[in-house]
Amino acid sequence: MSPTIVGPLTPTEAPRRRRPSLTRTMVLFLLLLAELTVFNLLLPGYMSPGSLLDTSRTFVETGILALGMTFVIISGGIDLSVASLLALVSVVMGLSFQAGLPLPAAMLLGLATGIGGGLLNGAAVAYLGLHPFVVTLATMAIYRGAAYAISNAAAVSDFPPWFTTIGQSYFINGLVPTQLPILLVAAIALWLLLSRTSFGRRVYSVGANELATRFSGVSVERTKLAIYGLMGGLVAVAAIIQTARLSTARANASMGLELPVIAMVVLGGTRITGGAGGILGTLLGVLVLAYLQDGLASVGVRNDWGLVVVGAFLILGVLANELFRKSPR
Amino acid sequence: MQDIGEPISCAAAADFKPTIAACRLIGAGKRFFGTWAVRHVDLEFRAGEVHAVMGENGAGKSTLMKMLHGVHLPDEGQVEVFGRLVTLTSPRAAEAEGIAMVPQELDLFPDLSIVENLFVGRKRPRTRLGTFDWATMRRSALSAFARLDIAIDVDAPIRSLSGANAQMVEIARALMHDARIVIMDEPTAALTEREAQRLFGILGELKRRGVAIIYISHRLDEVFQIADYITVMRDGERIHTGPTSGLEMTTLIQMMIGRPLSKLFHRTRHPAGDTMLELRSLSRRGVFGDISFTVRRGEIVGMSGLIGAGRSEVAQAIFGIAPATDGQILIAGHPVSIATSRQGIGHGIIYVPEERRSQGLVLEYAIDWNMTFSALDRISRGGFVSRRREKQIAERFRGLFSIRCNSIGAPVGSLSGGNQQKVLLAKALVVEPDIILLDEPTRGVDVGAKAEIYRIIDDLAAAGKAVLVVSSEMNELLSMADRILVMHRGRLTGSFEGPDFPVAAIGAAAAGIVAEHNEDVTLHPGAVV
Repeated sequence: MSPTIVGPLTPTEAPRRRRPSLTRTMVLFLLLLAELTVFNLLLPGYMSPGSLLDTSRTFVETGILALGMTFVIISGGIDLSVASLLALVSVVMGLSFQAGLPLPAAMLLGLATGIGGGLLNGAAVAYLGLHPFVVTLATMAIYRGAAYAISNAAAVSDFPPWFTTIGQSYFINGLVPTQLPILLVAAIALWLLLSRTSFGRRVYSVGANELATRFSGVSVERTKLAIYGLMGGLVAVAAIIQTARLSTARANASMGLELPVIAMVVLGGTRITGGAGGILGTLLGVLVLAYLQDGLASVGVRNDWGLVVVGAFLILGVLANELFRKSPR
Repeated sequence: MQDIGEPISCAAAADFKPTIAACRLIGAGKRFFGTWAVRHVDLEFRAGEVHAVMGENGAGKSTLMKMLHGVHLPDEGQVEVFGRLVTLTSPRAAEAEGIAMVPQELDLFPDLSIVENLFVGRKRPRTRLGTFDWATMRRSALSAFARLDIAIDVDAPIRSLSGANAQMVEIARALMHDARIVIMDEPTAALTEREAQRLFGILGELKRRGVAIIYISHRLDEVFQIADYITVMRDGERIHTGPTSGLEMTTLIQMMIGRPLSKLFHRTRHPAGDTMLELRSLSRRGVFGDISFTVRRGEIVGMSGLIGAGRSEVAQAIFGIAPATDGQILIAGHPVSIATSRQGIGHGIIYVPEERRSQGLVLEYAIDWNMTFSALDRISRGGFVSRRREKQIAERFRGLFSIRCNSIGAPVGSLSGGNQQKVLLAKALVVEPDIILLDEPTRGVDVGAKAEIYRIIDDLAAAGKAVLVVSSEMNELLSMADRILVMHRGRLTGSFEGPDFPVAAIGAAAAGIVAEHNEDVTLHPGAVV
């Protein structure tokens, strides 16, 4: 009479109690292990700690974006503008530094740009009631266009050494890239935020049942605004790291990065329609896809094919979520 | 009454009078994961009769109906339709045998027109060019409604229809394909008394045309009004089948719940306290206007009226979901402004919505998660939710309301309707409100759970809460309310003091008819405080 929901409900951690279902975590782990093993056969030494840690330089920024995207997608939204906003933040930071602003101030300005861009997305979604896909598709163009316009497509690259250290140095015997701890700290903080706080619960609730959330005395609008603002802030952090890593701020930075970011989140088990998912799954998704991309590039597969793989994994991720959801009790 | 508890065997079938059997279940049963949901049921439904199937949630009614409608294949026994053994492998196969179902939750497409909905999932006539032949479809739609004697704009989108008319569309959908057996699952759950009466008129017409109607309902009064035969299911077995005449309502209830019930509902009377909630000419443009009344501590005020009269809207305006545009709300004598539900909760008001699945709960999340969601501030420190406090609260309400579940960590969607409703009530009470607005608190809930919910509401009043109950079930308000307000088209048209309510006058007020002797002044006689 009433629809009974049976068995493991969601692909991953829906709010509490439903930890990432063991099977799914296992599958992702095995996938990661398998791809690393294959690459290790083709390129001896690929699986050594030094090599694995070094590769992490390539996915810290993507990983940070994926953490934020997890919030956005769980709340039933999507943010296609992250890569464009990243470029805009980078350019704003570079240009204001070039114009004579002290770099720490320029970084703060970049952070403000990121949060501002995020809040703009959030306001359009929450208060104008527009679909996040449309909103962020538009701002994807707007932010990228603005980045080109204010920089005249020119690159800024004379950053001081202390800054580039963030993205280009190592510690602990030259093993651990400096930016890796940033990802780890962000992951722990955001995991706590999503799974342990009342804000985290509102994020899930908005994605699972917006109407019921409203009837529970929660401001859906404010929650959405905060989520997109958080996403914007994380974009700024990623922008700073990337600018430091490449020693360059330019408008065509991270072109198309939104695709792998979304793919990682979905692959990690976050339900694309919202209401279920989690940070731990996303981290696994990041590792699986990032090492796959890096490994393919390392064994000489052309970059174009890397994109094909990312696309394929996005579909696989969505499919897997459906399969895991429908699995019998 | 002596035979309660032991299923009556096929003997009951022996005293059926010889009319045409439209369909029969012969020793039918269905097993899920090793457990029999329905076991060895012999049952006969006859042409031109309304046969009510009753029982608490989980008694096996739905499973039984699904076997007739091709959703489940029986694991034992057989189904016979007009004397022929059939294997119903899908609803489509059932429809081909002339069996149609009017589901409990209307599954119509709100943005499509009536005609379009009637032909969803059916073979649509084509023109010679291969395009859909809408003219023919419209004609058959019109004739279907003409047979039901209903004037309706068949091009109107479902969204624009009242609940009753949407129901009629489902029935027309069933009839259009010459259904000779119609299964109705709680057809009046979303209807008001008056709309329900209209439905019963149509059922009478169907009977005359020899249609067998299988009628599932929790509402005893309507079953006694329309059913020719009553079958009671309990724990997957057929407990009783017999004619309605001569059956006592209390006997029926006892058979359904399997235990004696002293009284359906017993309200404890106690003096009301100070005025807690007061509305002064509250209005929301285009929705309702000039609503004034008070609710005192310890008082239960009922709100009656037809669907669409604006009752839910008034309650939602008080709570802040869809705020009023004019007028005043006073709480404990102080004027307050409430523009959001958050502010409503801040003022000690809670609203328990009528649609528990879409407005009330997140079905796939845990019971305790749902219970505490409106009151997260109370159980968190520095934004971090205390799982310990949450568990305590949930366990307390689980015991208090005897919520039947394996664990408070189970998804709320795994519970029966009655237990879901109790979780919804608990969720409202966790915020410790002073003013409780209940919208259809027993919708789609079985008899046992209903009695428990009445007890909870009574306890709330006894504890000094101000309670407003919006309900379409007259019996519920009559037995529970201290006062009944009636709304019609966004206006208050009546206010009646209990305990002896003038039922006819309430019905008249709901229909917008005012007392004749006093025409000039009584446009809304109840709008007095």
